[in-house]
Amino acid sequence: MSCDDNHEARAKDRENRRSLRVVDAGTPAGPRASSSSPTYWTSAEDRARTGPVPGAANEFAGGTFDVGADTSGVSRRGFIQVASLSTAMAAVGAACQKPPHKIVPFVRRPEEVVPGNPLHFATAFGLDGYASGLLVESHEGRPTKIEGNPAHPQTLGATTAIEQSLALSVYDDDRAKQLRTGERPLAWRTFLEEVSVRASHLAQSRGAGLRFLTAPTTSPLQGDLRKRIVERFPGAKFVSYTSVPDDGAVEGAKLAFGKPLVPRYKLAPANIILSLDADFLGEGSEQTRLSREFAARREPSRQMSRLYAVEPAMTITGAMADHRARVRGSDVGAFLAAVISVLGSRGIAGLAPLASLAHGQKHWDPKFLVAVANDLERNRGTSLVIAGRRQPAAVHALAAALNAALGNLGSTVEYGAPLTADPTAGAAALGALVEEIAAGGVDTLVITASNPVYGAPVDFKLAKLLERVPNSIYYGLYEDETAAACKTVVPAAHPLESWSDLRATDGTVSIVQPLIAPLWGGIQEVDLLAAFVNEGDVGAHALLKKFWAGQGKAPGDFDGNWERWLADGIVPGTAVPAESGLAVDGAALAQAVTPMLATAGGKQGMEVAFAADPKTYDGRFANNVWLQELPHPITKLTWENAAMVSETTAKSLDLEDGDVVEISLRDRRVQAPIMRVPGHADDSVTLPLGYGRTGGEKVATDVGFNAGALRVSDGFWFDAGVTLAKTERSVKFSITQDHWKMSPDGRETPPPVIAGTLAEALDPKSKFHEELQDRRPDPENPMPFIHKPVDYSGQQYKWAMAIDLSKCTGCSACVVACQSENNITTVGKENVRKGREMQWIRIDRYYKGSFEDPEVVIQPLACVHCETAPCEYVCPVNATVHSDEGINEMVYNRCIGTRYCSNNCPYKVRRFNFLNYIEDYTAAREMGMNPDVTVRTRGIMEKCTYCIQRIERKRIATRIEGRAILDGELETACQQGCPTKAIVFGSLNDAQSKVSQAHADPRRYDLLHEIGTRPRTIYLARVTNPNPDLGQAEKAGEHE
Amino acid sequence: MGPLFRPRHNTLAQVSLFVVAAGAAGVPLGLMLYARTPLARGMQDPIEQPIQFDHRHHVRDDNIDCRYCHNTVDRSPAASVPQTQLCMNCHSQIWNKSPMLEQVRESFFQNKPIKWNRVYQLPEFVYFNHSIHVNKGVGCVSCHGRVDEMPAVEKATPLTMSWCLECHRRPDANIRPVEEVTNMDWKPPGDPLEFGTKQAAENNVHTRTSCTTCHR
Repeated sequence: MSCDDNHEARAKDRENRRSLRVVDAGTPAGPRASSSSPTYWTSAEDRARTGPVPGAANEFAGGTFDVGADTSGVSRRGFIQVASLSTAMAAVGAACQKPPHKIVPFVRRPEEVVPGNPLHFATAFGLDGYASGLLVESHEGRPTKIEGNPAHPQTLGATTAIEQSLALSVYDDDRAKQLRTGERPLAWRTFLEEVSVRASHLAQSRGAGLRFLTAPTTSPLQGDLRKRIVERFPGAKFVSYTSVPDDGAVEGAKLAFGKPLVPRYKLAPANIILSLDADFLGEGSEQTRLSREFAARREPSRQMSRLYAVEPAMTITGAMADHRARVRGSDVGAFLAAVISVLGSRGIAGLAPLASLAHGQKHWDPKFLVAVANDLERNRGTSLVIAGRRQPAAVHALAAALNAALGNLGSTVEYGAPLTADPTAGAAALGALVEEIAAGGVDTLVITASNPVYGAPVDFKLAKLLERVPNSIYYGLYEDETAAACKTVVPAAHPLESWSDLRATDGTVSIVQPLIAPLWGGIQEVDLLAAFVNEGDVGAHALLKKFWAGQGKAPGDFDGNWERWLADGIVPGTAVPAESGLAVDGAALAQAVTPMLATAGGKQGMEVAFAADPKTYDGRFANNVWLQELPHPITKLTWENAAMVSETTAKSLDLEDGDVVEISLRDRRVQAPIMRVPGHADDSVTLPLGYGRTGGEKVATDVGFNAGALRVSDGFWFDAGVTLAKTERSVKFSITQDHWKMSPDGRETPPPVIAGTLAEALDPKSKFHEELQDRRPDPENPMPFIHKPVDYSGQQYKWAMAIDLSKCTGCSACVVACQSENNITTVGKENVRKGREMQWIRIDRYYKGSFEDPEVVIQPLACVHCETAPCEYVCPVNATVHSDEGINEMVYNRCIGTRYCSNNCPYKVRRFNFLNYIEDYTAAREMGMNPDVTVRTRGIMEKCTYCIQRIERKRIATRIEGRAILDGELETACQQGCPTKAIVFGSLNDAQSKVSQAHADPRRYDLLHEIGTRPRTIYLARVTNPNPDLGQAEKAGEHE
Repeated sequence: MGPLFRPRHNTLAQVSLFVVAAGAAGVPLGLMLYARTPLARGMQDPIEQPIQFDHRHHVRDDNIDCRYCHNTVDRSPAASVPQTQLCMNCHSQIWNKSPMLEQVRESFFQNKPIKWNRVYQLPEFVYFNHSIHVNKGVGCVSCHGRVDEMPAVEKATPLTMSWCLECHRRPDANIRPVEEVTNMDWKPPGDPLEFGTKQAAENNVHTRTSCTTCHR
């Protein structure tokens, strides 16, 4: 076919579609309905369908419009009775005076406070010890929104979903509120006295029975306090524990380099990345920076990086990979050994002694193996092998040796001394403490680790053992499982209520400053530790300032420096340089890891893999409704966890989604619902941690199952010999997966996303570009629509957005950022199941290809602000209209809740308050609302506003200054939180703006362009960079 | 026994019919008219405050600029009711023994805020911003009336949406030089509309009427 013909055919096709819409508006199914499976699919059922998405039937999830949306149990008649009575009362009331509304000004207004304008304070948060620098927005003393600190080396101004959720958990009414011993409430002063008495007793025995079980921390002040405690009590010991430790990396470095070290990755120079069960985009203390660096190399050009992922269950890193192999967790080491053996046989210096490790191990698809090896070899010094935190020390050591041999040390990976007070924080260290307790050698145990009774391996039987400790003191945010097992409970201050200090992975110190005084009398961790050196009444702020004054970190006036550190969020010059001159002794390493690898992998039968949950982590965020209701980045599951298996495994066990199975492992049993997950390794079941909590928290209790009940110290991450037995029960998940289907009227539509390869992207004549061409506006030949398009070029601003799907990892930070910024409510599990979730952004995740080895395309979708919006002309009360700048406005005070707009929205991005969800907000919760955004009640429609409150605030500020809003000066909440900078927002009337450039990008496509809505939010197609040596059809993976 | 209804009852029936019909039309009409009265809008109703603060004295007699007390009006959505400390700037020196100011001293020394009664209240879905109005030359008096003549402050304007829009559609008559914003006596020289139009151009006034200008 010649070029002309081609063009003609396309024009005709377009013509067909147009006539189809206008002429055959009533036809239920279009002629393009095909009999084959869809290219892109979202779930097993969706994949199995042969026709178009069934229209009206699937447009809303089952139960969305159930009669009796009101679950309060009031009948219609009862409602009318109450309503008429209250109307009558209101009429009587109206005749009297309105109660006066009060204005309560400050007595002494702090100098920097301007009522009505928010302030931003720099602070830091450490998930597992290492700092993420944050900027917290504060309205008249109430923290309302978390942002990343742009000056911080690890966050670079972005955040994770978990960090965003701190703005909610600080106001959690379930938090521990009373310092108590047993049932007896204590004042802090009394507690200090008791500690002081006990300490002097302990001092007589040189503190022999004094133990501290802490969370891993990098705090220099806490390090100093620990030192002073050990000086006073030489017999005292500190043990760090987290149920999600990074021990493998530290011990692996010890094997490879002879001393414990922590790797620091740098993706900017990395052309080839091999991820070995490493979800470096979704977990770890460097994830925000790594996401940014990774995304920066994903723009289609010759410089585009290539990512190979080898992992058991699909993670967001695996979803971003150009090639992905599904491999059981314990076999990952064998895969690495095989890669090393290929490279070693090619004579790469340093790998020869390790080349024989792969003997007797699994066989892998030689093509995939060689392709990986070739890429690594060709990119010496610019490649990177990352081992995940679940992998044992041997795998980390081999990864380190491979990186060293490839010359990547110093370029894509550096090693630095561990900055945590204890280098490791896993089961081994805790095991030693447990033995001491069992032997009766512990008199006073102070626990500041996060809920270890729930998170410790079950074989330690920690809850039972704690009964043997005469004085157990638990310092925690909640009255959780550990609080129930300890004698004294000290309510913790939230990270946003505390003074402290933390280091980032590169050593940079951030001062943690409180945003609000402890709401429920929480005690700061520093104060608790200081109590053991008789300084519990000095105050964390004074201790911190005194400590830093003595450090001599900067010349000049300390108070001035201190203020600057607090304002900037970092202490300059505190970065710790990486170790240099590291070398691997290959022969010794080979000798050390050979037995380890032999015992690790190759086991027959079913394997269990435990995983930190992207939402509840290890259970410590389980009481946060934002996170509970956040759809899992891959499975889209909310409000619970599931035992994840592959399709093949499910078939062999005759299991369907939702079937409850009894999982048995070493005489321990747990019941869990099954979920088939595309891309999961066979003969492996992934159990997410952090659910099935039994503490006192209202939200967390009875949500999901406790995978930790199967977790033992010598099967901490992976364990073999698990059996799954089907039970009679089955559950229905609250999955947002197939809610809100885009299907304008049940007709076959073009695929919802477009993705291509680098080769296609670089070839302007490729089918990829042809397809894109068809999906964006052609000024010559505009798509017809019921509205007459408006010309916005005369306006000062023409707001628009662009989302680069090559960069978007689906991490979901934007969803929570949006929820926090816009006062979006949560609805609970039942209502999610009915399709009533309220998040304005939904992250669609599409699979392509086979169920077992799918490609993934992520497409976040909020209101796209159609210029010719279908929602607008169906609203009977003009509650949704266009602004002069083309924003599709939602006017809450006009909305009467007909929901016509949502019905007519082809993108299905409108959210309706079916119930009065804000009814049971506590007074504390209300403090955390954004005062710039109206709080919506029952019966109101809502949707993305492009953060109109931010636009208007910035507009007013710049108009007072007499200038225009500069490009990049105004960010929406999702854009600001996005770690990869995939979202750009700005004005199309500024030709130089980033968003204008994105709109002119050759990768641009408009979602549902064919129905003529002229969306203002456009997408840049996902481009992958597959290895040309590996054909499209051939799938990476094991080859038995 | 005669008929139950006599011819004279016809009049009664006709009158009743008229009353019912008039009521059906009149009640809504009456309510609509009522909603437009100052009474329904809470206007011209001086609000008592916990402390008898007299704007006449402070503005007129002492000639204190509005912005001395309402000092965030040009940089924040909120004009701010002054902090107690600000009252004490003067009243620690003058009238510092006056029984009228007992509450102010109590607030200051016991660190207890004074709870003032709100006069101007907008619905919660309305986001009014003082700073942009003040910086574009809308005088205080345009919305708040002659506060300098009020012994107790009262609502001087209806604050209905149509009232807001009236000015947002054609602001010229309410625009003055920015430096005259707090002047209670200011009168435009010459023709008000002609002067306002010129001044609006000079102040770069650019009113908007999109819903999200005020509703977010």
